[in-house]
Amino acid sequence: MTSSYDRGHADCSDPIEAVVLMDYWLAALPSTVEERVEQHLMTCDDCGDRLREVMALAEGLRALARSGALQVIISDYFVERAVETGLQVREYAPPPGGAIQCTVAADDDLLVSRLALNLTTASRVDLSWCDRQGVEHQRMADIPIRADAGSVICQQSITWAKASPSSTMVARLLSVDEKGDERLLGEYTFHHTRTIPGPPGFEMP
Amino acid sequence: MDVGLSDADLAPRIADGDREAEAEMCRRMGPRIRLYGLRHLRSPSAADDLVQLVLVKVLEALRTARLRESDKLVQFVLGTCRLTVLDLRRSARRQEELLAAFGRDLVPESPPLPQLDDRQLARCVQALTERERSVVVMTFYDDQMGAETARCLGISEANVRVIRHRALRQLRVCMGARP
Repeated sequence: MTSSYDRGHADCSDPIEAVVLMDYWLAALPSTVEERVEQHLMTCDDCGDRLREVMALAEGLRALARSGALQVIISDYFVERAVETGLQVREYAPPPGGAIQCTVAADDDLLVSRLALNLTTASRVDLSWCDRQGVEHQRMADIPIRADAGSVICQQSITWAKASPSSTMVARLLSVDEKGDERLLGEYTFHHTRTIPGPPGFEMP
Repeated sequence: MDVGLSDADLAPRIADGDREAEAEMCRRMGPRIRLYGLRHLRSPSAADDLVQLVLVKVLEALRTARLRESDKLVQFVLGTCRLTVLDLRRSARRQEELLAAFGRDLVPESPPLPQLDDRQLARCVQALTERERSVVVMTFYDDQMGAETARCLGISEANVRVIRHRALRQLRVCMGARP
């Protein structure tokens, strides 16, 4: 049997935008819009294919978010949910100006640094990762902060941490004003000791 | 069967006993119903079950010419999807009975999800701004986190949506997806 609707041959004249399809997949559309999207999907295999692409991206992002492999600013709630869902979370919380000994074990799933700070006066905040000589190796610019949170929670890549050699890292929270001038808000030192055997790892990400 | 038949053209043919038209209707509607099922049931096997149940109900209706306006076929299929999902949520037992009665013959092949390059995706996510990456990670980690993400970042849900849309557009470009 032949058909004009053979897969991949029907181009849509009014395609649904991918971000709308993603909102549909995330159940984030108003019901009236969702209804229109579903009507369209029941007639359009081209947009159905686009939805499959979006679903694959969503599944990839979900797996990535749960892998602990990303360096990202997260929330208390995120950490709580990770623990509730059975992930092994290793958390370090050095005091401002202080240092802490840290490591990571083979069965850890997430590695989290909790940097306590009063953020009420800062608008833009950068998180700078330096070595013990003060040389900056990485900067997380304009991190998301909530003024009343009292801390910044940074997830470090567990993949990187497990392969990292023993080293010292200094996290610096910096307030950056409109002219680009920086003011140190807090400094936190991590003395990382490698406990997982293996080949030499890489340096700071 | 003629090339270029619309979905609506199939309904009267099925009522006239055209088995090829039935097969074509199943071939077209099956993948669409499955997408609906994946979205609302969040399970590939449940979505497959939904395909069977909906196609059985639609075929029964079409064979007995209960669908009077053939151009309403799509709406009828969608409505049947909605009712069946409600039914599935209400009664797992009824689902098993129907499946036992009709078997798995009515599940057309659905296209698989595209394969993603996981490493490239990680690179693309790492290239987002800090705010975008936080929103993406918190959104996709857990379906329940939409409002919570907004609260944690001290911004509105509308703002979270704007950031998420911007990030997803960038990710799709970075992953080489169709515009």
